[in-house]
Amino acid sequence: MTNDPEHSRIERILAGEQHLYAEMVDKYKSYAYTIAQKILQNRPDAEEATQDAFIKAYHHLKGFNQQSKFSTWLYRIVFNTAISYKRRSKQQFQSLENTFVEYRGEGEGMLEKTDRKKFLNLAMAKLNEADRTALSLFYLQEFSLEEIAEITGMPANTAKVRIHRARLRLADELKNILNKEALTL
Amino acid sequence: MRKVSESVDEMLLDYLDGNLPKADKERVEKNLQEIPAWRARCEELRSVNSVLAETIIEQPSKNFTASVMSKLNLYQAPRGLSLWNSVLLLAGVLVAVGITTVLLAGGLYDNSNTSIDLNQIEIPKQLIKTPLPAFEFSGKIMVNVIIILNLAIAWIVLDRAILKPFFQRRMQAGH
Repeated sequence: MTNDPEHSRIERILAGEQHLYAEMVDKYKSYAYTIAQKILQNRPDAEEATQDAFIKAYHHLKGFNQQSKFSTWLYRIVFNTAISYKRRSKQQFQSLENTFVEYRGEGEGMLEKTDRKKFLNLAMAKLNEADRTALSLFYLQEFSLEEIAEITGMPANTAKVRIHRARLRLADELKNILNKEALTL
Repeated sequence: MRKVSESVDEMLLDYLDGNLPKADKERVEKNLQEIPAWRARCEELRSVNSVLAETIIEQPSKNFTASVMSKLNLYQAPRGLSLWNSVLLLAGVLVAVGITTVLLAGGLYDNSNTSIDLNQIEIPKQLIKTPLPAFEFSGKIMVNVIIILNLAIAWIVLDRAILKPFFQRRMQAGH
């Protein structure tokens, strides 16, 4: 059994202390939402999918294998839920207008940063969901390759290869986008 | 500018991640100084790295937790069959059992007997030393078995798809 501190809390929740689940939701909601957002690239859908995933996780707590890490198990549910939302969504091809880009008009240095972010989002939108999620989790530096593999449901070696390939593809996409931008100047 | 090979790409990524042994790292650094294509590609990858390193953790709405907690007890586990389909299936099975039972009681299957004689199968005579047996089948017994199987299916549908969800909902409503 792992020494996941969540195990005792899960046992108390299963014993009837439902309110303790709110603490778990608070603790994991940001990462869970980030995963859903990376897949769905749409805030309302990501919020709904994440809520759905937390509710599913609560009702399947009994089936949670206590030898695993709770967070990895939860994020896998979030990943699968978001993927099924994506499949259900009619918007299979995301239009550029819907691409989430954070603009902050805060001076020249900041402008360069937001531009880079805008181009990154455009390039990221061209990757598939699993690669985009794996890449984001990798750069959040919070997850090991094994955890990323477990969340996205691929073997660890495959995860490593796909993250590498996604980075290379991203570099090529960024180069293409920047070339097009330069041509429009 | 000439494009670098895939293996160089991989090596550059490992170099940027700090995953290369010392000797390989020195070799990469030497090539970076001498080969412009390596240097350009490394800059591209470094730039991707630095943008991705700014990946931020997204925040859901402020009432996210409250919203999840309020919906916890409204959750219904997905079932294979909807309640309406289950009732239809149960009714269908019961009607079939009822009709068959009436026909059985009316004596429709009393004379529907058949037999399978294995000697009728064309097998070379040198392979058969003794005559093969013949099996008798009574239509009445077979219909009885089918009725019993249907009743078992009806019972399972009633239990799994109707009674169990009904009592679960009553228990949840009682909390």
